[in-house]
Amino acid sequence: MPKSSEGTTKTVAAPPSEIKIKINGCWHNFEPERDISPTMTLSYLLREKLGFTGLKVSCDEGGCGACTVIMDGKSVLSCMILAVEANGHEILTIEGLAKDDPIVEAFAQQCEPGYGTALQCGICTPGFVMSTKALLDENPIPTMGEVKEALSGHICRCGCYAGIAQAVTHASEKIAKKGDAS
Amino acid sequence: MKQPYTPRPNSNRKFVGGYRPKIDAWEKARGKVEYVDDITIKSRFPGMLYAKVLRSPHAHARIRAIDVSRAEALPGVVCVMTYKDPEFTSLKPTNAGWTDGVDTVSYDKKMWNQFNDRRVLGDYACWVTDEVGAVVAAESEAIADEAIRLIKVDWEVLPFVLDPIEAMKPDAPVIHPDMTANNILPPEKMGGEDVFLDKGDVDTDFANAEVVIEATSTHHNATQASLDNWCCMVDWKDEKFTLYSNSYEADQTRMHISQMLDLPLHKVTVISSYVGGQFGRGDTGEQPFFLFTAILSKKTGRPVKFKHTRRESFHDSRQPTIYTGKVGAKKDGTITSLYFKSIGNTGAYADHSIFALKFAPLEISEVSFAHIPNVKLESYAVYTNKLPACMMRGVGNSQFNLIFGHVVDLLAEKLDMDPIDLCIKNFGHEWETLPDKSLTEVLRQGAEKIGWKEKRNKPGQGPVYDKTKKRGVGFSLHPAWHAEWQEVRRGHIPISITLNPDGTVILNAPTVETGTGSNTCNVLGCAESLSFLGVTPEKIHWNHLVNTDTSMKDCVQTDSAVSYLQSEVIATAVEDIKQEIFDRAEPVLKAKSADMDIVDGRVFVKKNPDQGLTVEELLFQGDLVPITITKSRLANPEKTGVPYFANFAEVEVDMETGKVDVLHLVVINDCGTVMFASGAEAQQVGGQVMGMGEALTEEIIYDEISGVPLNFNFIDYKIPTMADMPDIDPILLEVWKGAGEYGACGIGEGTLTCTPRAIMNGIYNAIGVRINDIPIKPEKVLRALGKV
Repeated sequence: MPKSSEGTTKTVAAPPSEIKIKINGCWHNFEPERDISPTMTLSYLLREKLGFTGLKVSCDEGGCGACTVIMDGKSVLSCMILAVEANGHEILTIEGLAKDDPIVEAFAQQCEPGYGTALQCGICTPGFVMSTKALLDENPIPTMGEVKEALSGHICRCGCYAGIAQAVTHASEKIAKKGDAS
Repeated sequence: MKQPYTPRPNSNRKFVGGYRPKIDAWEKARGKVEYVDDITIKSRFPGMLYAKVLRSPHAHARIRAIDVSRAEALPGVVCVMTYKDPEFTSLKPTNAGWTDGVDTVSYDKKMWNQFNDRRVLGDYACWVTDEVGAVVAAESEAIADEAIRLIKVDWEVLPFVLDPIEAMKPDAPVIHPDMTANNILPPEKMGGEDVFLDKGDVDTDFANAEVVIEATSTHHNATQASLDNWCCMVDWKDEKFTLYSNSYEADQTRMHISQMLDLPLHKVTVISSYVGGQFGRGDTGEQPFFLFTAILSKKTGRPVKFKHTRRESFHDSRQPTIYTGKVGAKKDGTITSLYFKSIGNTGAYADHSIFALKFAPLEISEVSFAHIPNVKLESYAVYTNKLPACMMRGVGNSQFNLIFGHVVDLLAEKLDMDPIDLCIKNFGHEWETLPDKSLTEVLRQGAEKIGWKEKRNKPGQGPVYDKTKKRGVGFSLHPAWHAEWQEVRRGHIPISITLNPDGTVILNAPTVETGTGSNTCNVLGCAESLSFLGVTPEKIHWNHLVNTDTSMKDCVQTDSAVSYLQSEVIATAVEDIKQEIFDRAEPVLKAKSADMDIVDGRVFVKKNPDQGLTVEELLFQGDLVPITITKSRLANPEKTGVPYFANFAEVEVDMETGKVDVLHLVVINDCGTVMFASGAEAQQVGGQVMGMGEALTEEIIYDEISGVPLNFNFIDYKIPTMADMPDIDPILLEVWKGAGEYGACGIGEGTLTCTPRAIMNGIYNAIGVRINDIPIKPEKVLRALGKV
């Protein structure tokens, strides 16, 4: 553990006595130091401590998007957020999506001729799905420019961007249809 | 709205060739698929330790002395081992290129047996980040990392060399003196002499030819960049060895472990599940890290996990290659002589370097250049202190295509001929006469889709857009390798089909699923073959887990060929399944096998179709034992020629900034038979990310002063994102047909082999100046235009 250098006048906020994070609808309580060290990333907590392995850690430095989860409605890179920063916040991982989530369905079903599938090896897919969810929650009918803008923090090395873009469009249509039905 | 491909007339396929989701799409979209890092999380293996290895900070150095005492004293460190320990000194020298994955090989049968240039843990480092000197096992990754930092090393820093031309000079530092005194890998039996093909007499022909052109091209280091970082976990105790890994060669990995650690095969279990991207990375599958992880597990008696960080996963690369090409031709465009010479930057270890240099040019010479009387090929693989380099979605094909597509374009220009016509006139294959049907159709369709006639300018003479931009079109083509006859070296390819009493099917077609979609191809092939039973893809379960204890030998995802190889074997299993059903029906129907037939899942007596019952009824009447058929066979060696593929590109170059924008890409693959259309199109579209990345942005950059690689990360190693990619049109063709039921060929590698050259020829067409080393970054364009 790095020790703070002596003689600094920097004020450090007192560590919280308890860390509470709402994950996929359930509050989890953690004890600082015992459960969560000050340097622990949110991705580490979710994967290694809690077993939410749907999110993937590839670059671990904010360069690939594979670890994307939703925090308070916004997509975030969980490798770039400390676990303690999530104190009091609401996290949604891919495990928290409904079984019939229209975005998951659209990613799984994409096979429209000319675009390829929306996934091949699948390791980047949960990240793309979560960013798509954050996008469509905020902007249910995005333009293709907005889709590209929203998803360009993600790398798909299999290169399924065209299929993913189709999936996002289809997800948007599915959500609109569901809305009409209800 | 894009159009589906047009299947070959009268093919009458029910399932094969269809547009549909991948069989694992649902699980993957929900994040349910588990990769090795997920399977081996600590909560599942509570006693598990984490390994880390010391990595060289120097491009070339030897350890004089090492002090691990501070690392050993760190709380949480369980074991520190060094290169001096007998567990390591007793290991045979090895390399990471035992096999290209096509076949399983033993230590003595390694493809590159002459180049045992790697120690599993030695005292000698040949590139920055080389694994050397010491390994640590600790309770957490953070502790293991800290322990590595506490190791004190007295380095003897040696002079280094990064450039292969420099490395060939007499005064260059020698990297593996026991292999070669001048850094050039000596000729050996697999690759042959330095001049590895010398047909006719190129020198005389060049002297007499009506037209001669000469050119060079340079392909830089690019990396596979699979998001699934290299990872393994070994549990070795009580004489039983279990390895979980994301290597794509389970059977070969088992052989590697067995031979290196002297364990009988039945005591070694290798388990592979889904892998998050492959792209040739594992073609250097026999990695020393499996072995030091194993030794740490044995020493500690606990499971040990070794996971590369993303930076450490910059571990293999496409071999950088400098090509020279020379072509002699008649004025009518008939090519009479071809000469290609390559210098490959092998990097720190030989691995498959020679394969990357000699395989692709030799193969294309044997098939596409068979009509050309004079052909000479020459190459040199040179050690340097860069990261090792060999395969990446192909083996030397992209590098060769960079010069091949170049000389084609150059010669056509000199002859004032359309390069498409030049290709049709000259290239085909050895078993048929010119023009080649596959090649002609591939180019015709590509030209039509890109708008070749309308959009092609006199080089640099086209209109100006937005005041500063010029546009151009280019293409390149290549023969598709990996038709079935090219896969004989695999040996027997096994599968098994289990027909359950309720008519569902368990398909064991073992292969490590890396995203290629071959699993879906196999399920479709299985449904097609068993459609007489009323089997549909939804009724088939494909077993994704490869476990060498219980699985048959896995068919390795190399050569892009698994998409059809296993389906061909499945097709041959049908008669056996029918016979087994007839055997069981004989006492029930009181008829002879020969008098029975099965249609739509109903077995009946041919002469009296009413005398019959469904197969389900038959099996439920009996002992309920499923019918299991196991089948294996060699690939069909019948020489059936080669199909072609090509890429066309339309580009826009900003003459002020030097920035190149690709506007449109067309990818055309003659597949023989399309096994799974959505998967094939995903390969075609997806491959362009890697191809365009290599052409324009992807490059490993080294600090020339220190030899330190500067961009081993996804921020500075620039992989195209969704916003970077242009509109892509995938075109699937079924013109050529190989042997067997489907006569298909692999296309995965072939989707991007031509992309860089197509883009480069497009750039030339736009600006009228040739740039021949990739990636083509803006500064290279500006330099070529004389603006810097």
